[in-house]
Amino acid sequence: MTQTNNSQSLTSQPKLANLGFGLGLRTEHYQEILNNKPAIDWLELLSENYMVAGGKPLHFLDKICENYPVVMHGVSLSIGSTSTIDKDYLRDLRHLADRVQPAWISDHLCWTGVHGQNMHDLLPLPYTEETAKHVAERIGIVQDYLGRKILLENVSSYASYVDSTMTEWEFISLICEQADCLLLLDVNNIYVSSYNHQFDAKAFIDGVPQNRVQQIHLAGHHNHGDYIIDTHDTPVIDPVWDLYEYAISRLGQVSTMIERDANIPPLAELVQELDIARKIAEKVQAYNPSAVRLPRHIK
Amino acid sequence: MSNLEQIQTDFQAFLIDETKGAAFKSRIIDDAKVGAAKRLGIYYDAYRFRIIEALATVYPKLHVVLGNDLFDKTARSYIDQNPSTYRNMRWMGGNMQAHLQQTLPQYPIAAEMAAFEWGLSLAFDAEDASILTLTDLAEVPLETWADLKFVFHPSLHLLPLQWNAVQIWNALDKEETPPAIAKTNEPCLIWRIGIDLHSGLNSHFRSLEAAEFSAIQLAISGASFGVLCEQLQDNLSEEQATIQAAQYVSTWLNDGLITRI
Ligand SMILES: [Fe+2]
Repeated sequence: MTQTNNSQSLTSQPKLANLGFGLGLRTEHYQEILNNKPAIDWLELLSENYMVAGGKPLHFLDKICENYPVVMHGVSLSIGSTSTIDKDYLRDLRHLADRVQPAWISDHLCWTGVHGQNMHDLLPLPYTEETAKHVAERIGIVQDYLGRKILLENVSSYASYVDSTMTEWEFISLICEQADCLLLLDVNNIYVSSYNHQFDAKAFIDGVPQNRVQQIHLAGHHNHGDYIIDTHDTPVIDPVWDLYEYAISRLGQVSTMIERDANIPPLAELVQELDIARKIAEKVQAYNPSAVRLPRHIK
Repeated sequence: MSNLEQIQTDFQAFLIDETKGAAFKSRIIDDAKVGAAKRLGIYYDAYRFRIIEALATVYPKLHVVLGNDLFDKTARSYIDQNPSTYRNMRWMGGNMQAHLQQTLPQYPIAAEMAAFEWGLSLAFDAEDASILTLTDLAEVPLETWADLKFVFHPSLHLLPLQWNAVQIWNALDKEETPPAIAKTNEPCLIWRIGIDLHSGLNSHFRSLEAAEFSAIQLAISGASFGVLCEQLQDNLSEEQATIQAAQYVSTWLNDGLITRI
């Protein structure tokens, strides 16, 4: 099931290689990553942070790419927007991809603004056939331009539209089918949204096209009682780890990483937290050997 | 307008100005657990919090100088008047100096502090370029010096300042008590020297006298060494002017400001 080559073909089997257990690349950790080469299988970089002319960010990025496989993760593609696709953005994205040679490129299943403005938020879409068709068409344009399949991530949401006619996972499935794209499953976001909208998180995992899940995100959040806000500033909580175990017992081995965007601890702490994911993967392998495969070593 | 386009237009209008959100609220499911108003409020607040945080990252000392409340108020009015057209929030703060000149005219140090910190942030990830050395310049035959023109580092930023924003910034950076606000009329240069792996800042700056400031402005605009000397003759003898110009060029070389000739 796991693709063994990292082919960029749009028509081959859905999945790309499994990279193992990774972390989000943060400026606070540049020096330590280069000095100590910690046991992280891969790193995810935030694309927009490196769409700059020069200086320290690109300098460190080049060095890090010599030592670790990387993937690119963006926040401003605005794939669900009704404004025209920003061609300058796509050009810069491709330019960065040429530089860092990522295993894959991802962004979010959302919109971030219209009429040339950016709200810098991952805003929710109404789950309708009209929207799915619109989004799938735009994913097609982006995939053609980049010459590769992209991954789209389910976002945390706090509001749902009267207009929606289906569940989020039905919406995601419809888009995947129409666009032939891959999925970045954020298990924390599933937990957050299931809490905020009172749906069954496991039904979400069961409902998405499992053979398209290329990557998993894990993160911490803040529970305000009535609702949860996705903050990425605390460790992953146990119920999210449980949901992760459920996910990989269904999906098999998937490249997994922890996102920390604020209140960033020393790297060692995150490497340790990542070990929890490794242990869970080992545990799932023990009771369900067909589901989990150890990652191939990828240089 | 498609249904989706309408939703997005209305949602965005609400985020920018909540008084425009009354009709849009009806598009959101109003449940007993949280309620539509509170749910939309989460997005409304998050839009501001996120950008305020990004502005505080670019303007850390302005934040200290203004204090939490005034910085927050300033950032909110800034966001209202400057909706982002950028892919990265990091670029959003470019109009802060002008915004502060307008909103806090009685407190001009704030706008200058903003200009200074914006310059530091621009230098941080400006284009890379290799630096010209004194040895490179020594190879130039003396008789061609008059026509010599200089290309400066892409990160170099010239800042005319009236107040002691740089001194205050420096003190705050060293966690020392900042000096009282004072008029100094001291311009400033901001630039980046290569990649300093051990410095968290990576941008350099220094204050300079008005005469050197005029000279470097002239050189940046493409004036030759000969023109530079002529300009300095307004206040100096021909020989003194040549010596002064040579001293400036040597200082700029040592600072790593010149990339080629
Ligand atoms: Fe995520």
